[in-house]
Amino acid sequence: MKVLTTDPAAQAASVLYKRCTIDLQSGETSFEDLPCRNLEDVLGGFGRSFQDLAQRRVETAYCDENPLIVNTGLLTGSSAMTGMRTYFSGYSPIKGSKKGLPSAMWSTGSGKFGAKFKWTGLDELIFENRSETPIYAVIRETEEGPQVELKPAEKLLGLSTHDKIMALQKEYADAHFAVIGQAGENWQNVYMGAVALSTENQLKSGEDKCRFAGRGGMGSLMGYKNIIALVAQSADKLKPLSSEVKKVNINVVKGGGSTRLQPISRGGGGGTWAAYDVLQAFHAVPLNNFRPQGNDLPEKLCRENVEQDYEIKSEACYRCGIACHNNVYEKNADGSRGEFLAKFDYEPLNLLGSNLGIHDAGQAARLIQLGDNYGMDSISLGVTISYLLSYNERHPEKPLLNGASFGDYEKIRDLVIRAGEGELPEIGRGSMRLSQATGETSYAYHVKGLELPAYQPETNPGYAWAIAGGHMSMATYGLLTREGKADIDSWVKGITQDKLHMVGFDMIGLCKFFDIANGIGTQMVVDCLKSEFNLEIATDDIRAAVRRAFLRGLALELRQGYSKEEFALPAEVYEQPNGHIQLPQIATPEFLDELQKRVWAVFEPELESLSL
Amino acid sequence: MKIKVKLVGLFRSELFKEECRDYPAGARVQDVIEDLVLPQKHLGIVLINGVHARVEDVLQEGDILSLLPILGGG
Ligand code: SF4
Repeated sequence: MKVLTTDPAAQAASVLYKRCTIDLQSGETSFEDLPCRNLEDVLGGFGRSFQDLAQRRVETAYCDENPLIVNTGLLTGSSAMTGMRTYFSGYSPIKGSKKGLPSAMWSTGSGKFGAKFKWTGLDELIFENRSETPIYAVIRETEEGPQVELKPAEKLLGLSTHDKIMALQKEYADAHFAVIGQAGENWQNVYMGAVALSTENQLKSGEDKCRFAGRGGMGSLMGYKNIIALVAQSADKLKPLSSEVKKVNINVVKGGGSTRLQPISRGGGGGTWAAYDVLQAFHAVPLNNFRPQGNDLPEKLCRENVEQDYEIKSEACYRCGIACHNNVYEKNADGSRGEFLAKFDYEPLNLLGSNLGIHDAGQAARLIQLGDNYGMDSISLGVTISYLLSYNERHPEKPLLNGASFGDYEKIRDLVIRAGEGELPEIGRGSMRLSQATGETSYAYHVKGLELPAYQPETNPGYAWAIAGGHMSMATYGLLTREGKADIDSWVKGITQDKLHMVGFDMIGLCKFFDIANGIGTQMVVDCLKSEFNLEIATDDIRAAVRRAFLRGLALELRQGYSKEEFALPAEVYEQPNGHIQLPQIATPEFLDELQKRVWAVFEPELESLSL
Repeated sequence: MKIKVKLVGLFRSELFKEECRDYPAGARVQDVIEDLVLPQKHLGIVLINGVHARVEDVLQEGDILSLLPILGGG
């Protein structure tokens, strides 16, 4: 970035970002320093990419007009803690309206690729068209600035995400990697391909500890374009830690905001896995395709039970003091640490565990590992399989595919493998398409075509307005469970004011765990921007930019053909209320109707004045 | 007065899952938290008889008090 102002809210054009555009058809590459259009552009991530996507009319994800935009946020690669995010944006193969138009989408992950990418001197890389042959792109710093080179990638084909990274590591020193797995290579039949991002720990240990930009099938879009991997090669260029950023970082780690995500051994709450215990207290842990039964079964995957048989080690992304990864290892007979299995985060653990009727931690770990190695979004994968299992339970006389049922590990494993290999489009294309094919859509747990994360929709009507799949782009998941809010006013306020601010993290390059409760319109972020770039930004300006970016996402959804009726929870939620969930039943037709009216009454006037 | 205290998640692993305990009349949720020396920074949800409550709420004879850690992120 070239920052030629101290006031980017008023003088956004005085901040320039470096974009490289590659035409994959012709091989032509061009570099530009582009002035920012507004503060969203300055902050980056989806705040910028969605403005570019809005300029294109795309009717199907797999077409020449659909770009793949790889970018970072303003604080990616900075010394601010968690500043490691990379964003992948494009029109999604999996998320789309009933009209058949693809939705604009982004996904993001940590790992060290984003920082390395930024340190090459590039802020954004746009891939146009598609390559005839498989390639990978090497982005490197040179004395003349960043360079991008395309290389043949045949040798990488058929390898898992981890093996691709390991193969590339042998060739490229001082580099980090973003790769697809076999799933992304089989983009025709897999719309939920993820992008795997390498971590320091992975490169050092040789263990498959990638991070993932999973949501929305950006790995499949990458596969369609025949881009198998990205290599970002640069020296580390972390600035010396200023006293201001140091103070912020200490606050992130010690100030309380991220405490629940930190290791238990350090007095933390043990990461997102702890949600298992909290939600189980309400019998709200998804089980057997989002139908909790009021029993103790989910407790088998609670930490206190898993750690009896497995070794759990807290680890972190590069220089992150939050250390939210709970890496699960086999325990050897002598009690020592054995083979690495998987990282236990709440979402994959539940959606590839309890929600499939799998209550054995080792089996859940193997499914997570398989999905990761094939490079599939664990949320979309888990929820599509749980739909299939639910269908099979309802139709024992004529089950689909291999006839798998809840808890049948071997058959579920077979589904994951065959989906990853591209042999099961029924799974690989997601739950919306599968349920449309069976004609039984009420228990397909997606909203707007994107599978739901592991929070019961009964507890989160805000899902309907999430613009990038569930809880990470609309932080209302705790409004009922955590805050006990069951009144319509709190929900309207939550959706239209407070909780949408979560998406700001997907602009600026920080992990949400930096300050999950408050978003990015905070003094901590202001202090980092001042220290790193000498920028003076008011928290209100940041909040206004985040709101505009969010609204742009909504406007883009409407432009891609979503009707208001599609901003809705799966019908089973209100057609067959689940009496086992011990929380007020707010997801009634009356409540949801009223919420629709009141939320749109707030958003609509703002959408009218927003130019796409 | 008798209060049934239920602990969830990391609170449970440090102490107990469920216990019936004696507290003086007028005791508040906060008094129970202090009595058990629970790490307050982890406290996310308080339920009295299954309904969301606050640490300053006063308990009644026979109440079931559930103390849960913070829920956040995925
Ligand atoms: S909070 Fe977790 S995911 Fe985010 S950067 Fe730190 S260790 Fe990585």
